[in-house]
Amino acid sequence: MTAAALAARELRRFVVNPVLLLAAAFTAWATVTTPRAITEIDTANWYVAVFLGGFGMMATFWLTRSMRGSEPVAGVTPTTLPVRTAALCTVAVVPFLYSVLLLIGFLHFYPIGDRIYGAFSSPTQAAVLVGQFVVPSLGGSLLGVALGRWVRFPGAAFVLFLLLFGWGNLVTLPSLSHPDSTAATALRLFAPFSFFTFAGNGPDVTTWRGSPWFFLGWQLALCTIAVLVALLRDAEGRVRSRVIRALATTLALAVILLVLAVNGGFAQAVHA
Amino acid sequence: MMVRSMLRAGAWPAVLVISGAAVLMGGCGVAFPATATALLPIAFTLLAAAAAFVLDEPASLVVDVTPTGPARRTGIRAVALLAPLGAGAALLLAGALRGLTLLWAPTALALAGNVVLGFAVACVARTRTGEPGPRASGAVVLVLLVPTLLPAVARRVSTFPPGGDGLSSNAVWWSVLVAGGAAVAVSVSGRLPGLR
Repeated sequence: MTAAALAARELRRFVVNPVLLLAAAFTAWATVTTPRAITEIDTANWYVAVFLGGFGMMATFWLTRSMRGSEPVAGVTPTTLPVRTAALCTVAVVPFLYSVLLLIGFLHFYPIGDRIYGAFSSPTQAAVLVGQFVVPSLGGSLLGVALGRWVRFPGAAFVLFLLLFGWGNLVTLPSLSHPDSTAATALRLFAPFSFFTFAGNGPDVTTWRGSPWFFLGWQLALCTIAVLVALLRDAEGRVRSRVIRALATTLALAVILLVLAVNGGFAQAVHA
Repeated sequence: MMVRSMLRAGAWPAVLVISGAAVLMGGCGVAFPATATALLPIAFTLLAAAAAFVLDEPASLVVDVTPTGPARRTGIRAVALLAPLGAGAALLLAGALRGLTLLWAPTALALAGNVVLGFAVACVARTRTGEPGPRASGAVVLVLLVPTLLPAVARRVSTFPPGGDGLSSNAVWWSVLVAGGAAVAVSVSGRLPGLR
């Protein structure tokens, strides 16, 4: 069985996963019920990451753990486990494409350049949205595969989801009280998802520090790390050493991108 | 002797790891009071998930044919609920000592309701499978997350005090306690189809 055929098989299993279907339904519902008149994008931009990224992670974790179900078919083929893991990773394209569609719909109602996006330039506003809609949807699913390949505990996905959700709440807090602080900015960006503006339901939007472009790079590095960690499981010989080398390089790159994200953007929070 | 061996066979690692994660999350909420109303519900959700693992019985094929009835087995295993309940109580105590301004009675009710919900779902699922924990905990987490994550539901139902204009958290959790108690009673009585 070729990698493409395996990927197609995993895709067919993934699109009927109840958790993914629930995530898709919840995302659609949240999209429909979001008020059209909002003062900041933070009212409407987080649920895609939570549902497609978070629930997507639970779905791919489930899919990966159920690889044993595929054993009668896939186990007898001369396909290595890393190739099968790579095939599993391709299912992340489903929440990725769905989030792209949602982003297009979002831009229809809240076009780039609107004051709800804060003081960023138009291309940077687009980077903020891609980092809040598309990349978390892709990364969550990839993280689920990595988790499923390494952790046997069946509740690992929802525990990690709740911890990440709580972490996201926790690290945003210091930026509310200390918007100009570098430490608060670093803490806020040390997460797979981050807000870049705050209005507190008032008319004025505060644009926080940090570079959305480099943050996008940090998120993509996290996605790459998730894929490499998943591939590392049961990789042998030259493949294993290549994956380890790539992992080390990506980790170093992720750190650099995080530092650049913290120090890029506005020197101070901008109130407008 | 039997009580001790039944307790020893429980899914303690799962219960303790998830309860530990809840303490970590809730502890951050206590340490940083501004996040308490966001992090304590997450901690309680984790405690509900931990409670869903207490009835896991890897040797169910053997255990279920012993003369010990489901009521007695469930009663013994319910002792393990002390782990999530104790973790939640410790969080509330720490919050009180830290001076958090929470509505303590409704918050304690929410804690009890979360744990009972997890346990009740596990009891019902235990009539069909020997290890209901993974599925039951996943289902409980998804159900509990809905009012937190969906603004349209959050406006109508509160699961953590003080809540909004809709159904209060007290009403939700009293209903859960009553329904959960009934579900546990029915499932251990052997009246559910497929009871082992």
